[in-house]
Amino acid sequence: MNPEFQRNLWLELTPARLLLMTGFVLFLIAIFSAAPPGFPSSGAVATALYYFLVVLWGTRNAALSVIAEIRERTWDFQKLSSMRPFALMWGKLLGATSFTWFGGILCLPFIVYPAWRGEGLPSAAGELAILIGQGVLAQSVSLLTSLNLIRRQHNYWRLDAFLCQVMGIVAAFSAYGFPNLLPIGPQAPFSWWGLTLQPHWFQFYSLLAFTAWALVGSTRAMRLELRSVNGPFIWLAFLAFLGLYEAGFESWFANAGGNSIGLHAAALRLAIADLAFAFSAYGMAFLEPKDPVHFRWLTGEARSGRIGRAFLALDCWMLSFGVTLLCTLVLALALWRDPQPIAGEPPAALVLPLLAALGFFTRDIALFVLGRTWSRERGDFAALAALAVLYVVLPQIAGPGRSLLLPQMTAPAISLVAAWMEAGAVWVWAVTRIERRQAEFTSL
Amino acid sequence: MIKIRDLVFEYPTARALHGVNLDIPAKAITALVGPNGAGKTTLLRLMAALETPYAGSVIIDGHDTRLKPRDVHRRLGYLPDFFGLYDGLSVRRCLTHAARAHGLPAGEVSDAVETASQSVGLTDRLGQAAGALSRGLRQRLAIAQALVHRPGLLLLDEPAAGLDPSARRDLSRLLLSLRDKGMTLVVSSHILAELEDYSDHMVIIDHGRVAGGTAFKGAQLFIALAAPDDRLPNFLAKQRGLRLLQADASQARLVCEEGAERRALLLQALIGADFAVSDFGEDRRALEELYFAQLNQSGEARN
Repeated sequence: MNPEFQRNLWLELTPARLLLMTGFVLFLIAIFSAAPPGFPSSGAVATALYYFLVVLWGTRNAALSVIAEIRERTWDFQKLSSMRPFALMWGKLLGATSFTWFGGILCLPFIVYPAWRGEGLPSAAGELAILIGQGVLAQSVSLLTSLNLIRRQHNYWRLDAFLCQVMGIVAAFSAYGFPNLLPIGPQAPFSWWGLTLQPHWFQFYSLLAFTAWALVGSTRAMRLELRSVNGPFIWLAFLAFLGLYEAGFESWFANAGGNSIGLHAAALRLAIADLAFAFSAYGMAFLEPKDPVHFRWLTGEARSGRIGRAFLALDCWMLSFGVTLLCTLVLALALWRDPQPIAGEPPAALVLPLLAALGFFTRDIALFVLGRTWSRERGDFAALAALAVLYVVLPQIAGPGRSLLLPQMTAPAISLVAAWMEAGAVWVWAVTRIERRQAEFTSL
Repeated sequence: MIKIRDLVFEYPTARALHGVNLDIPAKAITALVGPNGAGKTTLLRLMAALETPYAGSVIIDGHDTRLKPRDVHRRLGYLPDFFGLYDGLSVRRCLTHAARAHGLPAGEVSDAVETASQSVGLTDRLGQAAGALSRGLRQRLAIAQALVHRPGLLLLDEPAAGLDPSARRDLSRLLLSLRDKGMTLVVSSHILAELEDYSDHMVIIDHGRVAGGTAFKGAQLFIALAAPDDRLPNFLAKQRGLRLLQADASQARLVCEEGAERRALLLQALIGADFAVSDFGEDRRALEELYFAQLNQSGEARN
């Protein structure tokens, strides 16, 4: 048996805890099954209990499976073990959550049985697969987030565990529930990359795909903890998947805006993918450590002409930033060359605001790097606060000067110049701080 | 066993190691000493492949820690200065988990647990929860976890910290027995007096650099005369198996590279040659003086 899984089972599945959980679940469901009409059914209670145990509690345990190792100073010992990253990852993921899974599995028959009686075995099996998939996805995203957060080496473990829980819960419900958010309604077939799909199948395959990526991501994050080098290609493959997945919703995006966007389908798909890349850059810029030492090392390698070695060691946020940059430039070129007018305007009119948006995005990423040079513990939150001020507070009071803060169609040139000046200033500030700090201590 | 070349390590706000070069021999106990913040723990963590060098290399048994960290992990045991245990598990389960996590085949785990617990004197505590152990026993369990997979290299960061004198003596014996079984040990410590008991070499680290070091081969002796005698330096220089560190007409410091019999013969020879010997014994202050002398030298060189 996987040693990490076994260790967790020793700690989690003691006979007393198993008895307690069994009694608790069965007692609660029994009470509601005997309750008069008007009260929730036993199936509804079992469903709520399942989400509470597997998703809410399970995401916490998954996060703590790593964070608690740091807190209890046992992580170095684990890192020195001979276990492979994947084995250590799944040993933690399934072991640390085994108690909550035990409770969740007790709930499952009460959830699935009514579906089996009402709609038959395939429906019950589908529901079962989706429930389990949501649990695994939520917990693996929580574990993945915790593995990213511990690289920042601060001491706010309660906040970290909470952040991991939030990420896990959001991921589980987004991957499964995305089509439910569409205005077409959860039951109507919809188009994805020109294919007409039934939402429940799409939900199911989305859940599977994102769960697989979360497990791949957790394994890669574990590899980093074990001092192995990951290389950029898997992250680039994930970005390609994300871009293709999101771009498939092009027809919905076109319809959602009452077709007012009027972009070519190809350009719209590129724009949607670009947006997904930008979100991934923001997310990873927040989560990853942005270690100034790593930054200096990369700069040193690049300056010494070892570009390939530096490329292989790029962080995910850097890759996402690069891909967004590239994708936006391709989109700008496509718009520039597109003769078909959009809302009476040539598509080229969108180029300047688009490039301005790229400038603001570049500034925002630099803010995260700058925040890290200011404080390892609070820098990322300071950067988030700065973004809130820049995008929410200041535009409210800036009036016509809004072009200096947001890409504006009315004054695109001003927006463009302001965006790139701000981006340049913040990057220079961040890089100067990193290099000055190094100059101080290497001269000792 | 360990080759360290031009090793540089940086924290975001400080450079911890400035081009360290060091060779650590196999099947010996090497002590890393130095003031707080000198870089000893960082150096140990780099040897354990728990950190990645900014520049330079650490080669352990031919494996570069940057290129093959997992191969290095398999070859060593490491006890950090602040360590944790799985308090909810029994001593036996802690050791079983350590053995299995280090890749020992299932058939060998039980023997390995018995051997490791025996070597640290925990055989009578195997059923006890780790959380219920005293400070000294926890230290022993942590060491047992580090050596349960019989690594070739054991890295110990301040292993004697917080131990009472009797536990420290036991620790010294344990380290010597591990060395005698062919293990290479690197020990970081502040307690200079005890290093002589079990170390073969000392490496002084100061401000992220190697500031000096010495090999402890044989006992360091101190000889004092009640009446000064100019013949003493020449007399000692002619003796076989001695290395003179310092000598004048009234006292001498030397290393006797052979055992107790040679020391007895030396004392006999001194008395036979009519030296008024008033003091003859192991020089407990020698290491401390050497340490501070080399540290001062390093400080002057830096300034």
